[in-house]
Amino acid sequence: METFISEPAVRQVQVQFFTNSPDIALPEEKQQLIVPTNIGRSGLSQILNSDSMLATPNIVPFQFLINSSFLRTTLEEYLSASGFSTETQIRLEYVRSFIPPIYEASF
Amino acid sequence: STHLDTLRLVDPHMVAEARQQWTHYEALTRDLSLSLTEQLRLILAPTLATKMRGDFRTGKRLNIKRIIPYIASQYKRDKIWMRRSVPSKRSYQIMLSVDDSKSMGESGSGSLAFETLVMVSKSLSMLEVGEICVVGFGKNVRVAHDFDTPFSSDAGPKVFQNFGFDQEKTDITKLVRESIELFRTARSKASGSPADLWQMQLIISDGVCNSSEHEPIRQLLRQALEERIMMVFVIVDDLRNKKKGESVMDLKEAKFVNGEVKIERYLDTFPFQYYLIVSDVKELPGVLATLLRQWFSEVVDSSN
Ligand SMILES: [Mg+2]
Repeated sequence: METFISEPAVRQVQVQFFTNSPDIALPEEKQQLIVPTNIGRSGLSQILNSDSMLATPNIVPFQFLINSSFLRTTLEEYLSASGFSTETQIRLEYVRSFIPPIYEASF
Repeated sequence: STHLDTLRLVDPHMVAEARQQWTHYEALTRDLSLSLTEQLRLILAPTLATKMRGDFRTGKRLNIKRIIPYIASQYKRDKIWMRRSVPSKRSYQIMLSVDDSKSMGESGSGSLAFETLVMVSKSLSMLEVGEICVVGFGKNVRVAHDFDTPFSSDAGPKVFQNFGFDQEKTDITKLVRESIELFRTARSKASGSPADLWQMQLIISDGVCNSSEHEPIRQLLRQALEERIMMVFVIVDDLRNKKKGESVMDLKEAKFVNGEVKIERYLDTFPFQYYLIVSDVKELPGVLATLLRQWFSEVVDSSN
């Protein structure tokens, strides 16, 4: 039997992005995405700004909400705190961030 | 959850419900089962159309390639005839593996998976080509029906009692690894010639696992191929319950490579060579038959 030496794999979860601001809305086919769980606000913001997503000419910082509460941790920490597994899709609302980003442990 | 699982198996209400469900899916897929049975009969049991093989002193048809050597040898090398060879009867061990993880329930693909399971297991038991095993997988792998037990009419409802679509993980690596073990054990117990025993697995799932598993799975699949175990992945993708962009075909994943975001199609690294995507169970008899035919022509004929 072969054995595999692997670093502890980063978990992944499916998210569904949505926003109430039409000017930053994603086309329907891009709203669904598998993301790593070791990211928080800034990683998610980086994903949304990327060429394959919103392709913003200037970087727009975003804040994220799950069930109307701001996400202040990584997705992994959110999942373990709320008792959800990676089998459940997360509905992730995004809004433009107007407040200066506070210190976060996540990237 | 072990406690819950035990309850599910003995609770008379659950037992009655499982029987009712099985009957429902059986009725729903009856015609398709028959159609699949007919198509599989031709593929799995090719006893009629056997090839003519040489070289014999008497026979039915001349082997053209032997004629010139025959003349050149002053008619000494006279094994110039071909005969119809007696086909050996193939036997099969077929494992149906159904994804019991929570995503199956959440994406609404659970009922499509059940339709597929009922249709395929009914067809195979009608064909009587060998032994059938059913396993459920997610966080763990559980045998819901083993190879040793005949797949009789009450087997189906019993199998159903093992599924709740509530496992909190989809560990396909574990499934493949443990399946290989189950096949090894089954092969060692099989009667008849090992050369005529074919082992096949159909994995019925929404297809989504952590993409870091894709490479380890690929390595296990090579091992399975060496042991002549065919693994077919049936991705159930119930578009009736999905919005645009939710189909597994459109599913993308974000990765961070050296701090840069990379977005890739999930299926681009999917490790199974033989996979098919089913959004309507009506398509399954046709596509499954095509895929098995392709496998037999690529793998079986090339190894003979
Ligand atoms: Mg799953």
